[in-house]
Amino acid sequence: MSYVISGECCSDASCVAVCPMNSIHPSPGEPGFGAGVSLFIDPRTCIDCGACADICPVDAAQPADQAAPEDVERNAAYFAEREPLEATDLDSWEPPAYQVWGDGPRRVLVVGAGPAGMYATRELLLRTTAEVTLVDRLDQVGGLVRFGVAPDHPRTKQIIDTFERIVGHSRVRWLPGTDSTSLTTGYDAVVHAVGARRSRRLGISGEDSACTAEDFVAWYNGRPGATLPVQLTGPRAVVVGNGNVALDVARLLLSDEDQLRQMDVSPDVRRVLAASGIKEVVLLGRRGPETAAYTETALQELLAAAGDRVELRFHARPTSWTSEGLTLESGDTIAAGNLFTAIGFEGQAVDGLPFDADRGIVPNVRGAVVGRPGHYVAGWIKRGARGGIGVNKACAQETVTTLVSSSRAAASPGS
Amino acid sequence: MDETAERLLGSASRLSRDPETEIDWEAPIGDGYGMSPEWSTLYGTPYWDELTEAQQRELTRHESASVATTGIWFELILQQMILRDVYDKPPRSAEFQWALTEIADECRHSIMFARATERMVEPAYRPRLLARELGRMFKTVATGETAYAAILVAEEVLDVMQRDWMRDRRVEPLVRTVNHIHVVEESRHMVFAREETRERLAGAGRGRRWVSALVIAIAADMIVSSMVSRQVYANVGLDAERAVREARSNEHHRSLLRTSCANLMDFLGSVGLLTPAAARVYRRTGLL
Ligand SMILES: Cc1cc2nc3c(=O)[nH]c(=O)nc-3n(C[C@H](O)[C@H](O)[C@H](O)COP(=O)(O)OP(=O)(O)OC[C@H]3O[C@@H](n4cnc5c(N)ncnc54)[C@H](O)[C@@H]3O)c2cc1C
Ligand code: SF4
Ligand code: SF4
Repeated sequence: MSYVISGECCSDASCVAVCPMNSIHPSPGEPGFGAGVSLFIDPRTCIDCGACADICPVDAAQPADQAAPEDVERNAAYFAEREPLEATDLDSWEPPAYQVWGDGPRRVLVVGAGPAGMYATRELLLRTTAEVTLVDRLDQVGGLVRFGVAPDHPRTKQIIDTFERIVGHSRVRWLPGTDSTSLTTGYDAVVHAVGARRSRRLGISGEDSACTAEDFVAWYNGRPGATLPVQLTGPRAVVVGNGNVALDVARLLLSDEDQLRQMDVSPDVRRVLAASGIKEVVLLGRRGPETAAYTETALQELLAAAGDRVELRFHARPTSWTSEGLTLESGDTIAAGNLFTAIGFEGQAVDGLPFDADRGIVPNVRGAVVGRPGHYVAGWIKRGARGGIGVNKACAQETVTTLVSSSRAAASPGS
Repeated sequence: MDETAERLLGSASRLSRDPETEIDWEAPIGDGYGMSPEWSTLYGTPYWDELTEAQQRELTRHESASVATTGIWFELILQQMILRDVYDKPPRSAEFQWALTEIADECRHSIMFARATERMVEPAYRPRLLARELGRMFKTVATGETAYAAILVAEEVLDVMQRDWMRDRRVEPLVRTVNHIHVVEESRHMVFAREETRERLAGAGRGRRWVSALVIAIAADMIVSSMVSRQVYANVGLDAERAVREARSNEHHRSLLRTSCANLMDFLGSVGLLTPAAARVYRRTGLL
């Protein structure tokens, strides 16, 4: 027996730090970390102590006898070509890395309570004695975990509990429903963790009557004020995009009433989805399957839920969208009632900060905003809209390290 | 509970380590650090910078010995608490058998730490009298979640330090091996302590939770503040007054402790043991 990690892992690497056998990979710093979505446990060296499961915020680490057989296989397969690491050879472990505390900042403003803002806040609490003011224009913490992650992934959303505990820390002043623009100065540093939730556009004619992933996802997750901008019309829908979000959209569209009943969605959303009449989804990718951005687990999940009703089409470029359907560069038209675009997200310029419109990010060096001392970025607005929840942890840690080092006097020798 | 205990028993049969045979106790000791220097209570203070490298190394060897001694002290408390807790549990249950396995582990660890400190430094350390007396009382009266959460606190704080030291190539090989043995077996103990804490708290009302939370926090304070004896500074020829003063206000050390205890605090928060009163104690101790 051993433990295994399921596809619901958000790779925040909390488990890596508690495994006494160095069985969990790829760990931060190793190639592959942050690229896929999940980490894996080496069944050859795992001693079944359960420490990883105890610490996992989303219950993704489980004993093999309770996990799905595919997960057991996936974990073993990852290590098939790799030598087992001998944990008692302590030099095979990554040496510890230390950051030396200096005169840290006293007051820090963190804008955005999504994963990046929450991990940055946590890191500030651990690494400094600063008082942190945390704001979000929404009333709740979580960002895209609450209003992006699909409602049939409740375990992934459990990380919100951890975020809520961070907010309760005595050195955190949490101001929900506050837009950063309403705040004046008075902070030693500002961490902008505002994310990148705006959908990228295809740039084809008729696109205005399509539905963006941003709108659709916000609607089914019940983000305050979000409405469904289109009417759902069966029997076929086209989803443009090859990432996990496109797969989420397809899965939700194809969920039957039974599946919908088990999801945490409002009765209204359930009713509209069940009555949509959408029976088939065509997923369009501009390039081939080898460059598709979705993860293997997400694809398996979709195929398991509605394999016979999904068509994957690659090397297809849409040119226009009309009531007839979607016309492709090849001249073909796919007859469909709805078009969904899920080709990625982009950040928006932040007031008072420089902006790199091509990449949709605030230009920065390891989190420090270029040309604006005292201003830092973390998460999707720093790196672009890539990477799962956990990747934001390492990202926020890097930003806080930059922040702390630049506010510190000369470090002591040996640091 | 039995399911967890059964799994842990299975894990123990997969890998338990015997320091007696696994460590070459006759091997000569080199002049490595006793712990990662960054973990020294003085690291980052002006005093540290005044020391020669040899003095710094010597200091860490003594600090490490003192920490190990605190480990032994706590393992003794723990063994007695567990023994009392399972006194009238059915011996055939996995929970009972796991509890005794844990006691056996702790027993081996205490011997291992004792021998290792003897090889590393001349003087013997002991926790201060107040801690010893409070510990004596605690092990006699603590039950249920207070006992298990206190076990968890001690183990977790020690564990995170030891994970760093065992991976650190600057640290004396004996210390590294001893620490890895401890880390492996301790990870099972922590799983067990968490499970017991959760279970014991399941039906607890607010009043009981409040009291337990505070008792655990005070125990944590006692454990953490006893880790490095002030004797250490005198024994390596430092001005103990000054060393204690600088160590106490060492923000680098406090921030390391905070980071190390993050998982623990998260757990205590999730089971409702981070009441405002307890949080105040943790903040003062430097864990929160
Ligand atoms: C549809 C979708 C599904 C996903 N599913 C998964 C999944 O299953 N697993 C996974 O690991 N990852 C998933 N991800 C990725 C994950 O959500 C992101 O990696 C993560 O949310 C990015 O974090 P962030 O903090 O940078 O941004 P966000 O999560 O977007 O957080 C930004 C926060 O800033 C706030 N904000 C913005 N502007 C202001 C302002 N001016 N003032 C105040 N507050 C402001 C916003 O309200 C928001 O709360 C998904 C992403 C999407 C879009
Ligand atoms: S979610 Fe985090 S803790 Fe859980 S298995 Fe994945 S990396 Fe490990
Ligand atoms: S069960 Fe223990 S040994 Fe196995 S991966 Fe998890 S933490 Fe590591």
